[in-house]
Amino acid sequence: MNGRPMSCEELREVLELYALGALEGEERDQVDDHLARGCETCQRNLRDALAVNALVMASVKQATPPVGLKRRVLAGFGIERSGWGWLGAFAAALMLLLAGWLSVQERHRQSELAEARSQVIQITAERDRLNQAFNFLNQPETKQVTFGAGKPQPPKGNIFINSRLGVLLIASNLPMLPTGKTFEMWIIPSKNSSPRPAGLFKDNGQGTGMNILPGTMDSLYAVAVSIEPEAGAQTPSDVILVAPVGGA
Amino acid sequence: MFPYTDGDLARRLRARDPHVMSALYDRYGRAAYSLIYRVVRDAGVAEDLVQETFLRVWNRAQSFDQDRGALGPWILTVARNRAIDHLRSTDGRMSASSTELDRIENPRLFANFEDSAMTLDRARRLREAFVKLTPAQREVIELAYFEGLSQTEMAARLKQPLGTVKTWVRTALKVLRDQLSGQAVA
Ligand SMILES: [Zn+2]
Repeated sequence: MNGRPMSCEELREVLELYALGALEGEERDQVDDHLARGCETCQRNLRDALAVNALVMASVKQATPPVGLKRRVLAGFGIERSGWGWLGAFAAALMLLLAGWLSVQERHRQSELAEARSQVIQITAERDRLNQAFNFLNQPETKQVTFGAGKPQPPKGNIFINSRLGVLLIASNLPMLPTGKTFEMWIIPSKNSSPRPAGLFKDNGQGTGMNILPGTMDSLYAVAVSIEPEAGAQTPSDVILVAPVGGA
Repeated sequence: MFPYTDGDLARRLRARDPHVMSALYDRYGRAAYSLIYRVVRDAGVAEDLVQETFLRVWNRAQSFDQDRGALGPWILTVARNRAIDHLRSTDGRMSASSTELDRIENPRLFANFEDSAMTLDRARRLREAFVKLTPAQREVIELAYFEGLSQTEMAARLKQPLGTVKTWVRTALKVLRDQLSGQAVA
């Protein structure tokens, strides 16, 4: 094109296409540059364009998804049960680990009836997590990284990385959590990127804990664990473990 | 009808609560499936892509940092892009534009949506607007939204000059826009 800058009105004509990724070359660059300069009119127009696009996309003939699809989608997040038929040795060990965890919690909570209800909820939730972990370990392409081996005191354990399913951390020798604190897992996508929150977890009362970050992993440089206030944090404060995973 | 607002769901997504996915599927699963099916015309492929859509939503949700963000439009965009990406990979079109799709589904784009942007009334008006399009205008809209063609690709597909295709696209979009904003002559 001739390089003449487009006006806001001219840009308005192509914002739907821009938002569809259907704009090419200089036209697209112009929209990019213009929006990057923070033009408020065009920001508002872009939102209108996105709404037009969404309405068009929502206007298609509604089809009925297959019955099993919800279950399938949720299985990816460890929420729905996905079968027990293939218990491997590691899965069995993991189940023992979790059984120990549950019995400790049971002893702690036995006293109060009201607590019993929340315990049931807890167990259900943990069984889901167990399924999720099994699902993970069952994938042949899951990569395993061991950390802290041979060291008596610092945390040690395994990290399982699956590019489709996410990251599963199983750690023992974790330090005792102060009251009102929790462990928080972090993922560090690349050497120079800052840690991203990857979920809160507690140990089983004996220094062993597990956490799963579901989802696809584009890149992973290291996994870290820190101790944070109960609600979690956006940046790690008290880091107790950094495990490089070697560019998965 | 739903116990949660989009804002609640977005907050739980950011807090990495996997159980939010169930509520999210209940709300948007059918729309996502319908849209993807409309593009790929294959139930099995559509199922795979719905699964991919929700995983991607989960993975990207952390950038969804506005409580007033519009989850629905964002999820539909992610779903549409998965389907378009699949089409491109199967019909041998270049897949270099995958990064382009990545860029345009950045959740930040969907922040600060007005609640009034996605109402049944606007959906009805949009359907009425479609009736007003000429066959050529309707065709280019289809190609842009449901086949993911650029204007150059449309010109090649329709064997028309690029300028003609651009005019069809712009006029068609203007009809949709005017009808939605109530400026259309009845
Ligand atoms: Zn502008």
